Order: sequence, then C-alpha cells, then structure tokens
Amino acid sequence: MGLSRRDFLKTSVAGATAATVGMPLSKQAEAAVKAGEAGWQWDKGVCRFCGTGCGIMVATKGGRIVATKGDPDAPVNKGLNCVKGYFNGKINYGQDRLTQPLLRMTDGKFDKKGKFVPVTWEQALDIMEEKMRWAMKEKGPTGISIFGSGQYTIHEGYTAAKLMKAGFRSNNLDPNARHCMASAVVGFMQTFGIDEPQGNYDDIEHTDTAVLWGANMAEMHPILWSRITDRRLTHSKMKVVNLSTYGNMSSDIADLEIIFSPSGDLAIQNYIAREIVKRDAVDHDFVKKHTQFATGPYDIGYGFRPKNADKFASAAEMEVVKNEQKHVIDQWEAVAQRKKEGDVVEQKNAATPMKDWAISFDDFKAALEPYTLDFTAAVAKGDPDEPMDAFKAKLQQLADLYCEKGRKIVSYWTMGFNQHQRGTWVNEQAYMNHLLTGRQCKPGDGAFSLTGQPSACGTAREVGTFAHRLPADMVVMNPKHRAIAEKIWKLPAGTINPQMGSHFVKIMRDLEDGQILFSWTQVNNPWQNTANVNHWIKGAREMNNFIVVADAYPGVSAKVADLILPAAMINEKWGAYGNAERRTQVWRQQILPPGQARADIWMMLELSKRFKLKDVWGAQKIPGLEGGLPDVLPAAQAMGYTPESTLYEVLFATPENKKVKWPDPIAKGHGNHVADLLKDGWFPEKALFEEYRQFGSGHAHDLAPFDVYHDDKVRGLRWPVVEKDGKWVETPWRNNEKYDPYVKKGSGFDFYGNNGAALVMGDLDKPGDPAKKVDISGKAKIYFRPYASPVEKPDANYDLWLCTGRVLEHWHSGTMTRRVPELHRAVPNAVCWINQKDADSRGLKRNDLVWVESRRGKVKVRLETGGRNRVPRGLVYVPWFDEGVLINKVTLDTTCPLSKETDYKKCSVKIYKA
Amino acid sequence: MNLSGILVMAKPEWQAQVVEALNALEGVEVHQVDAATGRIVAVQEASDIHAEIEGVKRIKAVPHVIMAEMVYHYLAEDERIYEAMPPELIEQQDGFETCAVPAYLNS
Repeated sequence: MGLSRRDFLKTSVAGATAATVGMPLSKQAEAAVKAGEAGWQWDKGVCRFCGTGCGIMVATKGGRIVATKGDPDAPVNKGLNCVKGYFNGKINYGQDRLTQPLLRMTDGKFDKKGKFVPVTWEQALDIMEEKMRWAMKEKGPTGISIFGSGQYTIHEGYTAAKLMKAGFRSNNLDPNARHCMASAVVGFMQTFGIDEPQGNYDDIEHTDTAVLWGANMAEMHPILWSRITDRRLTHSKMKVVNLSTYGNMSSDIADLEIIFSPSGDLAIQNYIAREIVKRDAVDHDFVKKHTQFATGPYDIGYGFRPKNADKFASAAEMEVVKNEQKHVIDQWEAVAQRKKEGDVVEQKNAATPMKDWAISFDDFKAALEPYTLDFTAAVAKGDPDEPMDAFKAKLQQLADLYCEKGRKIVSYWTMGFNQHQRGTWVNEQAYMNHLLTGRQCKPGDGAFSLTGQPSACGTAREVGTFAHRLPADMVVMNPKHRAIAEKIWKLPAGTINPQMGSHFVKIMRDLEDGQILFSWTQVNNPWQNTANVNHWIKGAREMNNFIVVADAYPGVSAKVADLILPAAMINEKWGAYGNAERRTQVWRQQILPPGQARADIWMMLELSKRFKLKDVWGAQKIPGLEGGLPDVLPAAQAMGYTPESTLYEVLFATPENKKVKWPDPIAKGHGNHVADLLKDGWFPEKALFEEYRQFGSGHAHDLAPFDVYHDDKVRGLRWPVVEKDGKWVETPWRNNEKYDPYVKKGSGFDFYGNNGAALVMGDLDKPGDPAKKVDISGKAKIYFRPYASPVEKPDANYDLWLCTGRVLEHWHSGTMTRRVPELHRAVPNAVCWINQKDADSRGLKRNDLVWVESRRGKVKVRLETGGRNRVPRGLVYVPWFDEGVLINKVTLDTTCPLSKETDYKKCSVKIYKA
Repeated sequence: MNLSGILVMAKPEWQAQVVEALNALEGVEVHQVDAATGRIVAVQEASDIHAEIEGVKRIKAVPHVIMAEMVYHYLAEDERIYEAMPPELIEQQDGFETCAVPAYLNS
C-alpha cells in the first residue's frame, strides 16, 4: 500500500472515530485501527469533569494512558466527547504533579511560617495526628473539619463521612458541592421529600421544549447540548429558550433569548404561574391528586455571619451586612411581597428559613396577582438597551409555551439558579410551573436540575458528605436516622453527634474566628472557590491552626496549607461517580499514581489506624449541645470492642469487610495500590461500597452490587436499581407508576418521599392552628415564593453587576485543565467581559488591564468586549478558573439562607484602568 | 503532530457541499461519509497544537455544519508541548520520582 506513517495514523484515527460513533468501517480502516492500537489495553471509564457523566474508554500501554475516546456504548454521550473530556488522558501528566508530602518547616521542625520541605508519609501522618489531637483537646469534635467534594469517588466520600461522623463524632464535613447544588437539594427535599431529579437525559429526545434558566449548557454541558441541538434540528416542534443575565453560546440555536436582571428570574417564574392560572392551563386532576400548595416566611436574611459580623467585616462590607440586619423594602419588593416601600423588615426568620405551611389554591392565586406582565417586565428586564415592548413580547412567548396544551417541556438549570440568594426558592418555583401543568416525571416533561460536578449526586448527596446528612437522604438531626446509621455502622447508640456541623462557608468563618483548629481539604480547592476569599486566606495563614490540603497539583489551597499531601487522580485508583440522572458509574485502577502520591481513601484509612476508641468515644463537649455527647465506651465494650480498638478496625477493616478479599477476579488484571499498600488482604473500595448499599436498599435509593456495575456490558445504572427475576433493573423515571417500582399501584404518580409528612394549614402571611394539619403523603408541594431584591445592588460608587462562572475549556479552578497544554493555550487566562458602551464610557478598550474592585477586594484582569459572551450594559462577567485572576477576592459571601449556598452571580463592582 | 478525529454533522441535502468545504480547509481530510444520517468523519492535522482547537472552531463555522465535536485524539509526544505553559506551573522539571517543592509554593 505504501502508506506513510502519517497517512497510516490518519486512517487509523478516522477509523477509530467512525467506530466510536457507530459508523460502519471499511476493511482497510478496520485493519489500520487494529494495527495502530497494537498492545493497547482498553477499559471503560468515566469522565473526570462535569456532572453529565460521559463514558470514556481509556487505553493503557506500559503503565501509561496512551489514548482516550468517547465510549460508543455509553448512553449519555454515545461516543462523543467535549473538549475537556477529550483530554482526560492528559490531566495525570502535568509536569508539576505533587509526588511527595510537603510540610512547612524551619530547622527540621514544623513551623507555620516555614517553607515547604519534602517529608515522608510517616512524618506527614505523625504531624496530622498530633494536630488533630491538639484541636480536639482544645475544642472537642467540632474543632476539626474536612472540606470534601462533589468530585470524591463514592468510596472516598463514604470513608470520609464514616470517619468523621462515626469515628470522630464531628459533623464538620462539607463538600464544595455546597457551593454548587445545595439549593437544588433543599428544593428537592422541600418539594418532593427525596433528593435528585425524577427524569433523565432521555427527556431530551422526548421533549418539544428545552428552557434554560441560568445554565449555559453549550459551554458547561456540551454533550447534553449536542443532544439538544440534534433534537432542535430533527424535531420541527422543538423550541429552545435561553434565559440568562447575559447572552452566551447557548443563545446560538435558541429560538428565544431572554436577558433578565439579577434575581429577575424569581419574578418571571411567578409571571408564568400567573399566566398558567389565568389562562386555566392548570392540570387540575394532577394538581388535586398529587400536590399541596404551600408557602413560608419571607424575612429569612441573606446568610451572613449571624453574630459579631462587625468584628470581622470591614466598614465597607458592613454596608451590605446592614441591609440584612435591617432590610429596607424597595419599590419592587413592595409590590411583590405586598408590603410598603421604605418599610424596615427585621429578618426574624434568618435562623428558621425552612419553616413552611400549607395554603389554599385561592391564597396561591392571590399571591401571584401582583406579577403582571408590566410589573415583571419592569423588574426583570436585564438589558437596558432592549426596548420594553420587545422584552414583554418575549415574556409572553415564554408563557405561551408553558400554557400550550400538549407541549412537552424540560426546564434545565445549574448555577444561575443554585448560586442565588434565593436559590432554594427559585428551584421550587421551577417545580411550581411544572407541577401546575402536570409536566413532571414524564418522558420529555420535567424540571431537571443539572449538576456541575461528576459526583455531586453520587457522592456528596447520596453518600451524604454534608454537615447535616447521612447516607440515603437521612440527616444527623433526626434520631430515627441516627439509629439506622448506628445500626448499619455497628456503633453504640448515641455515638453520632445530633447537632448539624458547619457548612462550607461556616468552616471558613470558624477558621477565621478560631472555632476550628484543624482542617483537611480533599479533592477541591476551597481557597480559590470560596467567595470573599481574602478573609479565608488570612484565617488560614494568620490564625493558630493547622491546614492540610491533599491535591494532585499545587493550587491556591496548597499554597495556603501547612501540610500538602500528594493525591492520586482518576484512573490511578478504583472509583465510582454518580451523575445528574442518578446513573452510578465505575472504573478500575488503570495506572499507578506517580511517586509517593496516594488515593485519598488510603490517607484516611492510614490516619484511622492512629486513633483508638478511648480517644474519641468518651464524653465530649459540643458547643450549644446541652450535656454534650455521651460516653459510649461501656456500650462499645458490651458490643465486643475495646477502648484500645482502632478506628481502622472498628469502622473500616471490620470482620465483614475483611471477608471481601483482594485480589478479586473482577479486577481482570488491573491493580489496586490502596489494597496493596494496606497489605491486609481486603478490597476496601468493594467492601465499603457493599456496606454503603445497605443504607438505600429497600428505601427507594437502591444500588446494585459492586460487581454488577463492573460488568463489561454495563454502562452505569440509574437508581433505584431493584432486583427483578435475577436481573438488576434501573429506574428511568421516578414517581411515575409506569417506571418506578416504588410507586403505589393505581396511583399513576406517587411522590412517596413525602409519605408520613404533614403541614399546618395557614394563610399567605403565617401558619394557622398547629393542631390542624394536612397530610401530604404521596404529594409534592407547590410553593409560592416571592421576588426578593439582591442584598447588594450597584450604586453610584460600585456601579456594575459582577457575574462569575466557568468556561468550556477549564474545569473549576483549573488545577487539572491548566496542565493540559491544549486547553491552557485555548484559554490561558481569565478575562473580564464588558459591554462596549460600558468600556467606552470609562475610557477603556479591549485588552486594557483593569482593576475589578468591590467592597471586599480587587483583582487585575484584561478587558474583553467581543467573543463568546455578550454582556448587557451594566454587567460584567469574569470566569473563576484562573488563580492569577482570583476573582473570589471580589465576590460576596452571601448565601441562600435555606441551602447555605453562596451567590456567585451577583454583587457590585467598579472597574478602572490598572 | 496532533491528529484529531472529528464528527461533523450536516443536513443530508448539504452534505456534499460541506464535505467539499471541509476538504478545502488546511489540514482537514474527510475520511468517511454517511449519507443517510448526515454524519461525516474528518481528520484534522494540526502542526501547532493550539491550532487543533482553533481548527474545530473553524469547522463549526463552515456553513451548514450543525455540529462538530472531537471524538478521538491521538496523544502525540511533543517536547515543545509545555513551552506556552505559565512559568509557575513548570518551575520544577525534575520529573515525578524526585519531585521537589514547586518554587512558587515557597515564594
């Protein structure tokens, strides 16, 4: 044939591509693929990045990853990859991988002001043990904390939760997922009594309408976007609507682009509901059988420090905090909340924002009444240069879609809704409009919360690595839930701390005010990802505390740490992720971690060997918990433990778990560096997964056995996965009798998450007689939630809105993707997108270096007036991946009071030439 | 040398025109075409690595192209690969086993 090497490679790449997307191959191409891949071992894997959960095939040769490709058998991506997914194989090979523990030292001894010096694992674990003992001696179990992750493998998250909650009896474990989808969680729990979407990605191929609310799917979920694009081009009825505070790539195929003002979405949702009711597009049968109208208090605050804020905040910052302490009703809130402009409202329910009560349909209708087209357009129009009539026409078209009988609709959202001072409310409003029209839990119909991280669902939420959660939607505050967990974990009654721990932002605040003395970061970058970060960097570096950061690369958090632990990455360890459609997916270890890098699970297991029951299970003081935690050592001894038993023996290497042996034929020749290093013959990932499964089995959170997921033919399964006739059957749509085995026969739809729950009946302002309760078993709640203005708004001095977010090419804080030269070169640095008119009026032009400054801090960044984002006058957008443009110095640490999730999407800044 | 296998989609009635336009792009060759579904497999060779991503954007901009996504990537070894990395990311070049302290951590 005389093919040159280059031609040969091209034929081979073409053949592999065609095979990946399921196109027939020519014989010649087939032979070329085979020859090109000689000696490669392919195995199934999962993408490391977003919550879509694409299947990736990984090829290894000689202990290195040599190629990756989209998995043609994966139902999520059907062989496709986005640009990040495409480079999965390269993220392990950055030149500055951390490969040894590093400790700040002076003259051979730990020194908080010292320089990083390589140490052995033994030394690293010694100092961790010493500092944890010190922190717990000073403060008790609440003196220690872990920053966890929505990028934890399921096994890692489970190990962290059990170590903290069962071992150290501390609930100060909270994931970066708090920043990402906590509002979605509270929305689900309040509305349906059970977490996570009912539908799945196949909704795309069934629907007539995709409505995006604060989700730039074209950049952030490109593979799902390619499915939506495909539907848009092949289904004539299909409409795409993009609602956003700025124009972005998702607008390119949208039929309707609606640019709204920050928090204007709250008003738009109520306008749609008002139209649905007014035009009688309500599905009365569905609403009557399956829903209950409800509401809650409006005076819930904005999530600042509840006490002593002025001790830590500057005078400039206090200007904003004061708007929480005494909130002045503005012209929009006066209408939207039926109040008077200028009224001062004390935020009395700041500590009790979750309160809710039932209301009548008539009250619900009355509450919607102020949200007329005129009012909504006035409050929500986001582009000052758009004519009012044009904006109104768009709102009407949007309402027309929701009111059209027989039209199927899926609403999608991500951070635009979740990172919102009223994030829980706006999530609940999405369900409001879908439930009102009976468009939920049906193929092609549903409000669907997308997730940002690969295992925000599978680990952070399902395992429960939050300050209040236990596995399978249980919470530490509920005595029945604690009893279930204590039984499965074989703990004496009373071991688990009943007091909610510190959420992510509160852990930062606790470090700043000295309540927490020890902090361990796993699989995330808190000192880059937390808003108002100047405070937290100071809290880590200037307070007397000990900061441990496990990471693969030296990011900002490693820089502020006292001890850096080199972590293994994906494909260097066994793992499992759960994506946004409840699909649990697994991978095997493909390659060894470099140098001394180790899986986080190994670090935790090794540390657990150093603590004995007598160290942690005696009586413990807990601030705010009367009587503290009981001494459970006598009960432990009655169960056969001794005070000298280690946490490793009691929690992890239990007699049951040690029966799960390594090596295991399911490995098919793949290694396991964790099992090999532990050297005691068990298979931790498998044993812990099997133990974890017990929490959900029989409770509508069922997972299949470990080996089922590792079957070569299985590409993940959507829970609940229930055994039927010897087969493990997944559930594509929950709460729908046709698909969900947990639905009561004959009910059609059954929101069983609320079984046994009841609400007090009340009116729009308050709950009524506590004795009069409405049973909501089997029903979902339709909440009325009002418009509320942002706590900080542009003014004469800080005259622009700042919105932050991601870009297609980079993952989160860029620690991995900036090591991939292709991705780094594509988008090397963050820029500040600004409207040309805003640039002109400030005498600025494209590529100028400017300061973006808020009441909290400032960063230097280059201006961009063109490109992929089209921001309206009055708003600027800066992505947060770039540690050289640490935009979280500028952002505001206000949170949704219900979910404690930070609002990264709106605060006020000024811009001037640097 | 960087090779990427790219799936391009075009409506069947525009397929021939799109194939012609793709073949006219520097470094792009169409290797397979599926007339029934409008799918086209193109291979792109990019001499400069940065061009690889730019190239896909260029393909997306071809008239009548509905979708273009990279499917397969040949991971070519290339020493010049790191030349445009930010200095703070490549300060220590000692290789994995002898990882020293990245200089910027101690600055």
